[in-house]
Amino acid sequence: MDAVLAFLTVFTHPELLLLVGLGTFAGVYVGAIPGLSVTMAVSILISFTFSWDVHPAIALMIGIYMGGVYGGSRTAILLNIPGAPSAIATALDGYPMAKRGEAGTAIGVTTVMSFIGGFIGIGVLAVAAPFVSDFALKFQPRDYMLLAVLGILLVGSLSTGSLVKGIFAGALGIAIGAVGRDPLTFSERFTFDLPLMQGGISFIAVMIGMFGVSEALMQLHHVNKDAVRQQISRIVPSLSTVKKHLPLSVQTSAIGVLIGALPGTGGDIAALMAYDHAKRVTKNPERPFGDGAMEGLVAPETANNAAVGGAFIPMMTLGIPGDAVTAIMIGALFIHGLNPGPMLMIDQPDMFWFIVGALVMANFFMLLFGLTGIKLFTKIVEMPRSVLIPLIMLLSIVGAYAVNNSLTDVYWMLGFGFFGYFMRHYGYPLGPVILGVILSRLLDDNWRRAIISEREDLGRFFHGVFTSPLSTVLFIAVILIFVSQTPIWAKAKAKLLGGSGQGVEQ
Amino acid sequence: MKRFVFGAVSALVLGVSAAAAADYPAKEIQGIIQWGAGGSTDTVMRSVTPHAEAVLGGTVVMQNMTGGVGAIALNHVAGQDADGYTLLMGAENPLLYKVMGLGDKDYSDFIPISILARGTPILVANPDAPFNDYAGMMAYIKEHPGELRVGATGPGGLPSVVTAMINTVEGKMNVISVPYDGDGPALTALQGGAIDVMPAVLGAAIEGIRAGKMKPLAIFDVAANPKLPDVPPVTDFNAAYSTYLPWGPFFGVFVKKGTPDDVVAKLAAAYAKGAENAEFKELMDNRGFNMLAISGAEAEAFLAKWQQGTTWLLQDAGLTKTSPEAFGIARP
Repeated sequence: MDAVLAFLTVFTHPELLLLVGLGTFAGVYVGAIPGLSVTMAVSILISFTFSWDVHPAIALMIGIYMGGVYGGSRTAILLNIPGAPSAIATALDGYPMAKRGEAGTAIGVTTVMSFIGGFIGIGVLAVAAPFVSDFALKFQPRDYMLLAVLGILLVGSLSTGSLVKGIFAGALGIAIGAVGRDPLTFSERFTFDLPLMQGGISFIAVMIGMFGVSEALMQLHHVNKDAVRQQISRIVPSLSTVKKHLPLSVQTSAIGVLIGALPGTGGDIAALMAYDHAKRVTKNPERPFGDGAMEGLVAPETANNAAVGGAFIPMMTLGIPGDAVTAIMIGALFIHGLNPGPMLMIDQPDMFWFIVGALVMANFFMLLFGLTGIKLFTKIVEMPRSVLIPLIMLLSIVGAYAVNNSLTDVYWMLGFGFFGYFMRHYGYPLGPVILGVILSRLLDDNWRRAIISEREDLGRFFHGVFTSPLSTVLFIAVILIFVSQTPIWAKAKAKLLGGSGQGVEQ
Repeated sequence: MKRFVFGAVSALVLGVSAAAAADYPAKEIQGIIQWGAGGSTDTVMRSVTPHAEAVLGGTVVMQNMTGGVGAIALNHVAGQDADGYTLLMGAENPLLYKVMGLGDKDYSDFIPISILARGTPILVANPDAPFNDYAGMMAYIKEHPGELRVGATGPGGLPSVVTAMINTVEGKMNVISVPYDGDGPALTALQGGAIDVMPAVLGAAIEGIRAGKMKPLAIFDVAANPKLPDVPPVTDFNAAYSTYLPWGPFFGVFVKKGTPDDVVAKLAAAYAKGAENAEFKELMDNRGFNMLAISGAEAEAFLAKWQQGTTWLLQDAGLTKTSPEAFGIARP
């Protein structure tokens, strides 16, 4: 009964309702601007809401979080610039749709799917949080490493065209991610004794440059062409469209919740893995992936919003953050006099249900704000290029500066922008670069932890892999996915089935 | 003529700085937090600063600037004007930069506004570990050399200092040291069984201990802590530790050396008053930190003593890159 009352707190207090709504609205727009991140917004809010009660403060933060994760898809679809790392996969199929004048449809589907993903995430949080967090704790360094290897194999799905170029791009990303002081031993790597390089290269600066600036430069090629007229007759997707994609969205949401619940991985990796999953299981997309496949929107958007609920699971049950935003929220709970940790659920279960309630409300607001104002947004892409290109440049520069208030990041961003332009020009995909940067640390740190734990003995390492069911499953998945991308697999399959083979399921 | 210009300029400069001190703060103050959002330093700074702001009558805009074990933030503040408009909000690490080869600047380039609080280290283990206290752990290490996995956070971090202390007092332990990004991820790994033992700050482990997710082996202090009265201090097992204890990480607010005295005094008064706030004190107590709230000569002495003790401990354990002697840090 207390749980129900706590859950309903948000719904019965108009000011809390208003704050969640306000937060979600702000989140959608903060999320849409590359460089302005939810993490940043929430950490500013900690100081801002310092003197408030804990409920309104958390309500506002949850709104921003939910709205922000969704908002990243807006600019990804309209301008090919992901507003946040978790929207990188969304750009792959969303932008081709916008180029065809279907931006309205793309945003509509994205919104509804984010809503569904968000709900699945919250549902798992409400029903199975202790169970999922116990499972997440079971992940050992070697499992994180195998997960990162699994992620690296996504290079295949993210590269359109030449796989070799994709692998090159991925390797470049891993190298970029390794620049700076190694976090485990503090020795310098790839810094060439330049103090500038010691802090590493801001991953957000790379992302904004590669997507934003290179896009602006690409647009310069046809500066005189008329912009594509957007049809905005059908924004809310039909029930049959939603039904058709429901099975996929449930699967990708599951990926999102789990990856989100793992401390150390978040919505960005979840969205990319979900995209890859969709590519594997979708037999006949209406349009090929990378050319505006609806499934290519459904998968990452359900996954990254499901990861929100997922990230709260270790936070609420163990006091361990599931991602950067929940890390800050733990700090906020401390400041407001609570003691987040394994005892929070036992000492103050009403806080848990209050958060679940606020998330549900934020999810509804997200649907509301997502489906309104699309007409205005699509006008952005209909703007003449002479306005649009400077606008993209401006957004990119502001975004890159805002990450660390550092001008150096702006230079990095511009540098990677030019580099990205030439990469695109010569057919090198950009997605794998970002993938490499995201996974670089995960792979490197956890491989080293895993092998150090086994006294640097490969025999003991593999013994560990094969005596843990979790590691064994991950290892087999890595092998299967790797083999399935080689010609041997296709040949073997053709021989065995005597027909056209499809990709394996994960 | 040259002389006149010089005089005029210096008069102008003096005039400006005098004016700046009188109506300080005349604009927003930047607070650069050395560590990431949600961490201990971040939480402490974001809890005390609003109370200090109220006294100061200005705003402090805090932002996290991470990287290079905090050296990025330190160098950033050192590169700003010494006008009191950029504060460094940091922890103990910079005092080890020089000997660890992480940078050529430390708190000797800064003036302490307030050393707010000190933490207490505690040794915790996975609940399934085959021992229940410090003595049991040492016996286990002797029987199973090279088997126990102890968490670490890189050279100069709290675990490295505690480990150096154990190695100095007990003789070198034969264990596997597994590095993590910070005590948060390491304590997560401890609960998942990826490591067996972790030296952590009391505040980070206390909730896990209360819930039975980890078990305390010994407090690294000379007396039991009121927060965990049943956990024995390590000096109960081996009195030789009292040479090095009490020791602990700390949090402090700093400004660049050369900041006008009256600005420093204003800031110090504001943070001293802010640290007296009941809510802040309760928060610090809940997290197991001992309040210090010292400034001026007392803070300078605290920093010097801390640096002497810790750098020489690390030097004797063979963990430093350069001897503290090279930087004029005398052996305690």
